[in-house]
Amino acid sequence: MAIVLFLSVFLIAACGLIYELIAGALASYLLGDSILQFSTVIGTYLFAMGIGSWLSKFVAKGLVERFITIELMVGLVGGFSSAILFLAFAYTDAFRLLLYVMVLIIGVLVGLEIPLLMRILKERFQFQDLIANVLTFDYLGALGASLLFPLVLVPKLGMVRSALLFGLVNAGVALWSTFLFQGQIRRVGRLRYLSVLVVAALGVGMVLAERITETADASLYADEVVLARNTRYQRIVITRWKDDLRLFLNSHLQFSSRDEYRYHEALVHPGLAAVPNARRVLVLGGGDGLAVREILRYPSVESITLVDLDPEMTKLFREHSLLRKLNSDAFHSSKVRVVNADAFPWLEEHGGQFDFVVVDFPDPTNYALGKLYTTAFYRLLKRHLAPGALLSVQSTSPLFARQSYWCIHETIRSAGLNTWPYHVYVPSFGEWGYVLAGKGEYKRPQVPPGLRFLDQTSLAGLFQFPADMAAVPVEPNKLNDQALVRYYDKEWRDIAH
Amino acid sequence: MPTSRHSRRAVCAGLVGLTAKAERRIDGGFVFESEVAGHAIRDRKPFPAPARTIKLPIVIVGGGMAGLSAAWWLEKKGFRDFVVLEMEKEAGGNSRYGRNEVSAYPWGAHYVPVPNADSVLVRELFTELGLLIDGHWDERWLCHSPQERLFLHGRWQEGIEPDIGLTAEDHRQFRAFDERIKEFRASRQFRIPMASGAPSDSPLDKLSFRAWLNNNGFKSSYLHWLADYSTRDDYGASSADTSAWAGIHYFAARDHDEKGPLTWPEGNGWILRRLLQKLGKFVRPSQPAVRIGKSGTGWEVQTPDTLYQCAAVVYAAPAFLLPYLDPAVHPVKTMNWSPWLVANLTLDRIPAEKGLEPAWDNVIYGSPSLGYVVSTHQDILMHLQRTVFTYYWALSEASPAQSRRDLLSTDWGVWKERILADLERAHRDIRQCVSRIDIFRNGHAMVRPSPGFLTNPERKSWEKGRERFFYASADVSGFSIFEEAQYRGVEAARRALAAIGR
Repeated sequence: MAIVLFLSVFLIAACGLIYELIAGALASYLLGDSILQFSTVIGTYLFAMGIGSWLSKFVAKGLVERFITIELMVGLVGGFSSAILFLAFAYTDAFRLLLYVMVLIIGVLVGLEIPLLMRILKERFQFQDLIANVLTFDYLGALGASLLFPLVLVPKLGMVRSALLFGLVNAGVALWSTFLFQGQIRRVGRLRYLSVLVVAALGVGMVLAERITETADASLYADEVVLARNTRYQRIVITRWKDDLRLFLNSHLQFSSRDEYRYHEALVHPGLAAVPNARRVLVLGGGDGLAVREILRYPSVESITLVDLDPEMTKLFREHSLLRKLNSDAFHSSKVRVVNADAFPWLEEHGGQFDFVVVDFPDPTNYALGKLYTTAFYRLLKRHLAPGALLSVQSTSPLFARQSYWCIHETIRSAGLNTWPYHVYVPSFGEWGYVLAGKGEYKRPQVPPGLRFLDQTSLAGLFQFPADMAAVPVEPNKLNDQALVRYYDKEWRDIAH
Repeated sequence: MPTSRHSRRAVCAGLVGLTAKAERRIDGGFVFESEVAGHAIRDRKPFPAPARTIKLPIVIVGGGMAGLSAAWWLEKKGFRDFVVLEMEKEAGGNSRYGRNEVSAYPWGAHYVPVPNADSVLVRELFTELGLLIDGHWDERWLCHSPQERLFLHGRWQEGIEPDIGLTAEDHRQFRAFDERIKEFRASRQFRIPMASGAPSDSPLDKLSFRAWLNNNGFKSSYLHWLADYSTRDDYGASSADTSAWAGIHYFAARDHDEKGPLTWPEGNGWILRRLLQKLGKFVRPSQPAVRIGKSGTGWEVQTPDTLYQCAAVVYAAPAFLLPYLDPAVHPVKTMNWSPWLVANLTLDRIPAEKGLEPAWDNVIYGSPSLGYVVSTHQDILMHLQRTVFTYYWALSEASPAQSRRDLLSTDWGVWKERILADLERAHRDIRQCVSRIDIFRNGHAMVRPSPGFLTNPERKSWEKGRERFFYASADVSGFSIFEEAQYRGVEAARRALAAIGR
């Protein structure tokens, strides 16, 4: 019996500390300045516990009932604290206020727990044993919680579910106490019913925790999240702020609808307009259909093959009304054939030649992606170029990642192609680079009329590189020696820090 | 199959917020197990009289890389009157490979260092196979980045030369060692094939590689580890059991301008596959030679169902086997063969990684094993969910005979545990990733270049051959690498052609 009672002390002590840690960690995580957040949260919490302890003397009778009620309240408020705070941060301006109010409430309730429990137990134990044991288990619980929190709870469960789990522990102690102190409670049935209700509420919270986290996650993107989806290959997030739609793949911005036309016009027209009567076009990557939209401006084009790895991505841009509008229903054109496959093996396994090829892959952030920027890849691509064909490659930023950009350029040259490097300013990206390549010559073409950005004057400017973006000596990127991933990693890391 | 004990544990684990992890079932077993057939020959079990007799100018015994290289050479010279007798159901020897629903994977040799100008025959073969085009290596089959990493002091570092946690003195010794190796390289004594540079005797062959390091002031434990790793990797022997000449050969014979090596998902099985496309018609699988004997000026080679009467024999099977086939040959006493274990682990998911991306070759510092190679490394797919690790373990701590006994008498379940415990040092979640472990126990995987191997009379006798009988395997070189097997195979074929006047 005694050990069971002291186990309750251990558990409620652990719960108490966990809520405090969650509040401190959440505040640090969302507001920054962890020293300030943790100090003020701990101070407020201890102060509130003091209030609770003082208030306990006004509880005169029905000690056990009060204790159980308090446990249920702690479980409910503490359990949902993390979810409430997350959502408050995402949707209100009152996060800070709410944070300290909740810390105060939980602190007061937790402050009440131990004095009440000691008074309940005082009949059963010698005072000297009682105080020693209660405090021992209290501190042990604190130790357990403080170790469990960073090592297990945060990495395995996350903050929302951790809080809910310990809310369940509080509610569990309440329920358990209704049996433990059965003789000393008058309205056992009602309390038990209440306990079960709280347990159920917290249980539902556990089940919905994923959704709560996701909703709260949305607040980490500056704008409204229109859509968030985990596919087999990536996390697709689309946000909207007024008329600006943005696509993020694995948190990397892919386009902003406000200026994507600059990016896509520059990706397609300098090359495609220079191939007279291009009929067969290949697009590698570009599952948003925005490059296809530009290609469809050419009546001579008879077929567009788009190879993108992720079927969810192409499906989304074929079906979602906002996105269909953005790519002008590109995927509903009878000229377009979508292939969901890995580009490198697809090129190895399929024959066929093309008059124009667009390569629009994610930046080379790792060795797997880096393989799509190697001499081996461009040599393979070269075999798919019809006579007179041109190839246009998105090549990261010549300003922020100068070596990376010129490395891609050097790699394409090493594969035996002639190259014409150019760049454009895209406000949401900054300076962005491309490499145009082909087996023959290139003459600056007449771009199609009706474009929003490109015309004859701006086209000529694309091929000028000012001194701070001019070519630098670099190694080509090869499968067996991926210089590009090393350049890229170094350059973007320098910018991030 | 949740037992009550399991479910209680799951509930407890669930309470503290851990996902319940039931012990994962791992399937697998031993593969090939050819030692049964081999031991029948060793024990001179009586074989039935052959049903038929075939006369041929040349018989090649053994369908590993040496035997197939002999066949490759004969065929190139327009000579087609020969067969290759193979004991196993499939040819390939140390270049054999397997394949499952995830990937192809090697059962032995898994790479060839980019051959330099010395290795004329290798370059000739690789040009034929389309790997060397106009002086350029096909990038597709050069080992992709990142090539190697080493798990040292609790984390992965790039490359297998230890780098983290070294003192200035350690670094100095590595630089000094590199300098010595450069001098050795310049001496042109250490070349591939070894016959083009090796002296008939050398003071370096009188002591072990470890003793040589110590005598030359190389005491850094990291350098000793790298030296020992290298000899275990190429010779299956510790640096203390390896001739210093051979130890230095490992480092000094390889200077290539292109970052390599050449490697394929199925390892050297890729070369094997391509050779068999051309030469498969000469190969007689499941035809072990059970008796070889002189007959007049020629030879008789007997298999369970056929008696081959031939003018010359190219003997491309292991040299230790011959005394059991031909009573006129003395048992091998002074040369040794290293026992190896090769395991292929099928993984349902890739182990969690912090820091460096998985490399092709992944080595754990201080492990008795040689680490593992990722068979899907040469893939060009963007997202791999599953893979196969080929895990190598040269049993070099005890004597070859003792290690061989341990290798063959230990249960699969015990080996499985040893392998997982080893990998667990670097991958804590390995048990949650692996679904299958197949193990190949190769009791005589490769011949050892022990101190004195250059002048070893047994090896010398193989080099010399017998009348119209030519040893072809890497045993003749004293160490077993692809280039030596190929060179010795071609050399034996040349001599056989000359002996029969062609």
